[in-house]
Amino acid sequence: MGIAENCLMPLPATIQQIIPETSDVNTYRVTLDDPEAMANWRNRPGQLAMMSLFGAGEAMFSISSSPTQRDYLDFTIRKAGVVTKALHSLEVGGKIGIRGPYGNGFPYELMKGRDVLFVGGGIGLAPLKSLVELMLDDQHRADFGKIEILYGARSNDDLCFKQAVLEEWPKRPNCEVWTTIDRAEDTWKGHVGFVPAYLEEVAPKGEGKIAVLCGPPIMIRFVLIGLEKLGFKNELIYSTLELRMKCGVGKCGRCNIGHKYVCLEGPVFNLIQIKELPPEF
Amino acid sequence: MSNKTITRDQLATLLDRLVEKNRVIAPVSDNRGVVRFGEIQKAGDIAWGFDQAKVPAKSHFLPQTEELYRYDTSGGELKIEPVPPPRPAVIFGLHPCDLKAVAALDPVFDGAFKDVYYLNKRERTVIIGLSCRKVLPTCFCRSYGIEPTDGQGADLMLTEAGDGYYVEILTPKGEALIRDNAPLFSDAGVAEGRRAKDALAGELAGQFQLNVDLTGVKAKVDTMFEHPYWQELARKCLGCGICTYLCPTCHCFDIIESHSGHRGCRLRCWDSCMFADFTLHTSSHNPRSTKKERVRNRFLHKLSYHDERYGLAGCVGCGRCIAECPVNIDITQIIADIEEVD
Repeated sequence: MGIAENCLMPLPATIQQIIPETSDVNTYRVTLDDPEAMANWRNRPGQLAMMSLFGAGEAMFSISSSPTQRDYLDFTIRKAGVVTKALHSLEVGGKIGIRGPYGNGFPYELMKGRDVLFVGGGIGLAPLKSLVELMLDDQHRADFGKIEILYGARSNDDLCFKQAVLEEWPKRPNCEVWTTIDRAEDTWKGHVGFVPAYLEEVAPKGEGKIAVLCGPPIMIRFVLIGLEKLGFKNELIYSTLELRMKCGVGKCGRCNIGHKYVCLEGPVFNLIQIKELPPEF
Repeated sequence: MSNKTITRDQLATLLDRLVEKNRVIAPVSDNRGVVRFGEIQKAGDIAWGFDQAKVPAKSHFLPQTEELYRYDTSGGELKIEPVPPPRPAVIFGLHPCDLKAVAALDPVFDGAFKDVYYLNKRERTVIIGLSCRKVLPTCFCRSYGIEPTDGQGADLMLTEAGDGYYVEILTPKGEALIRDNAPLFSDAGVAEGRRAKDALAGELAGQFQLNVDLTGVKAKVDTMFEHPYWQELARKCLGCGICTYLCPTCHCFDIIESHSGHRGCRLRCWDSCMFADFTLHTSSHNPRSTKKERVRNRFLHKLSYHDERYGLAGCVGCGRCIAECPVNIDITQIIADIEEVD
């Protein structure tokens, strides 16, 4: 039986580049060792992959690179637990395992022809970045209307993808970016305040617009309230939900919310679906 | 192929012969007298006369600990090696509740993502079911529409009749086993065997002490997520997880690491939704942080979620959780309570 037929067996992969994002977050640029597997890899924006650190274990991460980028996969990962500490101890050339992709990803086909607002908090920008970059890609840009991005983090240091957020994205046509940090710092000249409050201040018009969000649970809760006030329709608000996972394929039984498995039916849900879920996430 | 009979001695001969080319799994008594499904070397190893194996037959298809693959990271390289495919197996002695439980697990491990570990064992295992000889005080399979002589899910179904067994041939796999061992089976006494089975079925149907009415239970429990009942129930529960380990339809697992130096393997081990760290995030957030959420999850899984996902009941009425719960939490009482509470 080949590796490809076994959904629990990882594919060998190599870290090609490590891009520091914050003092405890790096983006790991990874390629699958088997060139054919790399060429055949397809993922949707917002999908997940299980990363294996041999000697430490496995953990699920969103893929932060755009699906239009076919040469590598990016994972933006905070040093936090056993697996991520082992990952952060590796250098370029380090060997890891990858299996996936898992989950539904963002339904970007349904977003065509519309303006899109992204709201991200901290490392929660990682899954959104895969969709932002797909939409900003020349081959897809004409399919979408105005792209607005509201991004915040606890501090200047905690802002991820600074090059993209502060330099590249704001220069793209029909793309507006607002950034904020929670508390004032000498090094920060921009806006200060929590993401939900900044959203209220910026007050983007919700009519007919898609909203896509990812961030800590507390941010998501208040942003959802804010978006409804701004007139965003429930079915046009998409959020990702995060639960602990072991298999990623709907068998190990731990990422359920009610009868839904987040690894299969999620991690992306619209607000109508979220409201139908029992409040256990 | 028409049904057969087999004598006790010939059944022992059959199992002894099957051991030569197969793993043969049957109820065995371990060194503490606990009956569980384990590999036998000869028919004499079987705990003949067992009423119910305490550990269900899922332990064959989803072992408590199972190696998934091996790896070697020496020299900065990475090699991942699959484990060898499972040997052909024959599992003997599943009662109807355990047969039904295997059917309930099948769609979990099949589907868009196929679990080759489970499915290969399913594919390469012949299941020989065995009708119950008596109904235990904790049995309530009949409430789930299962009769203690039902062969559904077995390749061959055996029922004690006279000095031997009445053998029903239910699938091509069962037929092949009979064909390969034809001289051990007989056409004599088939009609008597059939009558003995019918008589046993009638007798056992009258022995049930536990009966529950499941009408409307799923619909009711689906409205009870926020009900204070779960808090009340959680106060009694110790969170030990024995109900999940012995439940024939519980399938939750963890994937863990075992390594020494550069070489290691990944293992999957039974896990339990009754444990606090089951859903604990690295961030320390926990969606099921107290026993209330965990107890609720278990019973909603048994009484609603499994059915909702797969169209099959998540409980088969085997009664193991009732028999082994250290604080006497009884799912039949919970079903009755669900019907009662406002």
